[in-house]
Amino acid sequence: MLIRRSLLIIPASNADALATAWSHDADAVILDIQAGVPPSQLAAARASLPDSIAAAGQGGADVLVRVNAPYWHADSNAAVCPALTGIVLPGAESPQQVADADAHLGNLELQRGIPAGRLELALSLETAAGVWHIRELMAASSRIKQVAIDEAALAAALGIVQNPSLDPFVYARGRLCIEATAIGVQPVAVLDPTRLGGDELSYDDKLRLATDARNLGFKGLVCVHPHWISAVNAAFTPTESLVDYYVQVREVFAQALAAGTAAAPFAGRMIDVPVDERAKDVLALSAACAARDAAKQAALASAGRQTGP
Amino acid sequence: MPHPHRRLKRSGLTMPIVTDRFISNAWHRGCDFINMDLEDSVPPALKGYARSLVRRSIPVVNKGGADAVCRINHDLMEADLDAVIWPGMVHVNYPKAEYGHEIRRMDEIITRLERERGIRPGTIAIGANIETAVGVANAYEIASASPRVRDFGGASGYDMSRDLGVEMFVGFDQFVYGKGEVELAARALNLEPRAAPFTPNITGSVSDPDRAFAEADAARQCGFRIGGGLHPFVVEPQNRGFTPNDAEISDAHWVLDEYRKLAVSNETWVQIDTQSLTPGDGPGPLDSSDNPNLRHRVIDRYEAARAAELLEWARLCADRDREKDEAIARVRAAADADAT
Amino acid sequence: MPAANQIRRSWLLVPASAAPRIASAPASGADVIILDLAEFVAEPNKPDARDAVPAALDSVKAGGAEVFVRIDPQLMLADLNAAIRPGVAGVVVSRLESAAQIAEAAALIDRLESQRGLLPNSVEVVASLETAAGNHNGFEIATASPRVTALTLGRADLAMDLRPEPSGEIHLMQYLMQRLITLAAATGKLPLGAWWRAPDRGLLATPENTLAAAQRGRAIGFRGSMCVLDNQVAPLNDGFTPTAAEVAEADAIQSAYAAAVQSGAASVVHAGGRALTPNLVRQYAQVSALAAACAIREEFKSAALSGRPIPLP
Repeated sequence: MLIRRSLLIIPASNADALATAWSHDADAVILDIQAGVPPSQLAAARASLPDSIAAAGQGGADVLVRVNAPYWHADSNAAVCPALTGIVLPGAESPQQVADADAHLGNLELQRGIPAGRLELALSLETAAGVWHIRELMAASSRIKQVAIDEAALAAALGIVQNPSLDPFVYARGRLCIEATAIGVQPVAVLDPTRLGGDELSYDDKLRLATDARNLGFKGLVCVHPHWISAVNAAFTPTESLVDYYVQVREVFAQALAAGTAAAPFAGRMIDVPVDERAKDVLALSAACAARDAAKQAALASAGRQTGP
Repeated sequence: MPHPHRRLKRSGLTMPIVTDRFISNAWHRGCDFINMDLEDSVPPALKGYARSLVRRSIPVVNKGGADAVCRINHDLMEADLDAVIWPGMVHVNYPKAEYGHEIRRMDEIITRLERERGIRPGTIAIGANIETAVGVANAYEIASASPRVRDFGGASGYDMSRDLGVEMFVGFDQFVYGKGEVELAARALNLEPRAAPFTPNITGSVSDPDRAFAEADAARQCGFRIGGGLHPFVVEPQNRGFTPNDAEISDAHWVLDEYRKLAVSNETWVQIDTQSLTPGDGPGPLDSSDNPNLRHRVIDRYEAARAAELLEWARLCADRDREKDEAIARVRAAADADAT
Repeated sequence: MPAANQIRRSWLLVPASAAPRIASAPASGADVIILDLAEFVAEPNKPDARDAVPAALDSVKAGGAEVFVRIDPQLMLADLNAAIRPGVAGVVVSRLESAAQIAEAAALIDRLESQRGLLPNSVEVVASLETAAGNHNGFEIATASPRVTALTLGRADLAMDLRPEPSGEIHLMQYLMQRLITLAAATGKLPLGAWWRAPDRGLLATPENTLAAAQRGRAIGFRGSMCVLDNQVAPLNDGFTPTAAEVAEADAIQSAYAAAVQSGAASVVHAGGRALTPNLVRQYAQVSALAAACAIREEFKSAALSGRPIPLP
């Protein structure tokens, strides 16, 4: 089970952000050489990508690189190395673009001694055409494990300024979650950046926003600042009380089955097969999150020994 | 447009067919339908036993005038259909529908069984329930796969939540897209939409009669006609909530009277301030004193069509209520006769 | 930057059979006037309404409005025969259900353009997806002919019998509006509509509620909307034009961003507690451009109405 709750995105040219990216407990770090990098620094950012990828991954995070749509070819050439988890392709509108990127990653795997098919391709949709054609886009590559809508880019494409009280993306977000789930790809949320100044938001605000995203079907959230990560990891990890509830659901349901029925009342609700199945899913997710956290802890400890005083 | 096979579904209880005390007692609850479940409320070890009960349970649930409905298992479709397609059955719910070919296969089997068992062709409807993301993605294909699909809905509930990996009852509408896709498919194909306005619910209680009435009332006013539930406490509130009241019936007659006047004058619409009208003996508009939204009314062909539908629906509800009352009275009279 | 002729915020529907409405329409300030041959013309009045189109096409543009004619897809031949004449910018096809209807309309328009000396391919088609089938087939309809330049839900709430929910929102409309806007943007068409709520009957709403519906509509991506009453035109023009405060904010943000970029600061700068990304700045740049284009359109209409020379942009 892929556990990638928090995806910290930082400009690949930002040395300060890069120096500490590994230490924030993000499940993934996205090194951005698209929007975040001024054109004058693009060449330098590309050249240092292999080192940046290694640095960003010290804490056990998966490391992805968001490429520029017009230069995805050259950017991918600069990014692909054995430590890279995958490429984030922005703005795809046609299945051919996705298939081309898929083929190119295949060539790079072959040239650079990476097992075939290991590199991921994540889609970051930026236009209405991408949203409309999402099914065809996702079907164009078996490397796709995650897909997101960059809501700020989509708003600009629609000619609107995002207003949190009049949500323009209920349709787009819903379509993303349904179509991605239908094909077995994880939908990843990118929240409205007008709510992401961050300083004025409390931990509880962030926890609530991320929990709402999880309750739409998202499996993770792109974080534009490290102070989002702990709230996002918490929101996408089953809480203790939820785990307790589902442990009891499993017991009640097992007793019901033993008594010859598969429906039993519990805490005012009716417990039957789908609730018991959901209980199994939540308990498995909880275990997988714990395993992911343990792996990150181990990596952090080891990184601490290497870089410590 | 009412379908020739249209059956009212304001209220209905879903119950495990293997629990005899539920099946035996359900007839006097006043349900429009009783949904005998072979699926999620029946343990795997009892699936065969469950099938063996269906044919003889049909007359039991029919006693009070309720329609016999069945929910079969997605993965046991053929064996289940063989056990449930008997005279008296009117509707088979197929859970977790995901592809058109599943529905076409069901249609073939039901068509054969109707012929073999002397059931008039086309009697049995298929309830293709959308409960997964794949089902939403293929909604139109599924809904258009057979003329036996007459009402269509889903895309929320426990199964959908499990598929998306979300908790329910979180206070906001999590399923806008999926419900929209499914309802658009239903409306594009002229099927009765199985939908309702969103009402925040953070309890998940299945037995609250006040809540059941409020939801049914809101659904009726929004134009929806289909209910159903899990607990006997919600049956009567749903029947009441889905049935038009006298004020609405009077209002519908008033709209049609005004529309006739409009048609004579070769106008297409008129706006009427209902507070400027003097109440007469005949039909009149709904009282707007506690609902300012009702003060200014537009009369046009859409309002006229809505009024005509409401009167037709009210007539169907009254007929259905009489049918059920008479059936229950017959059972009680027979029991009294036995007792004396 | 949108050209002035793409500013089409208010689309006033005027029954072609209603002479007083045709007489009052030019002074309404509408960006577009639609001479209706469909919904608002009773069946017995249709022949007279069609006969009235040529003169009305000429007279209603006195206020600088572009003129469209709304037709009934079941009466396409007769309605298009009345509508396709010099001076018509396009037709609105109501209650569309299929791409075949667009193909049929496009073929008839091809012929009438050629017979009547109009520039080939000059007459636009606005696809009104009022029915469920029309929405279901929306992508095929939008891409059936390059003549299609705009999409609208028209009166989908009525054609699909969608009613107010207890919240005041019209059932299913949030989904349908955002679906239409996504579809329009994906196919390069102008999305038309407003976010109507109960108690108003959409196109018949009060001026205040029309303004609110237009503002909400603009926030989710609509660019203009149809209306039925002259007093709804100004609220639609206002609601689909960025406010002075919005323009001031947009200008300030762009200046701050430009200064930050010039000073070589990191590309993400903060102003008023916000993270400014290129995409956010792109959103605000369009606000300024839209406001400027709206001002040009207003100047044009005001000159036309007063008989002053038309200013060149």
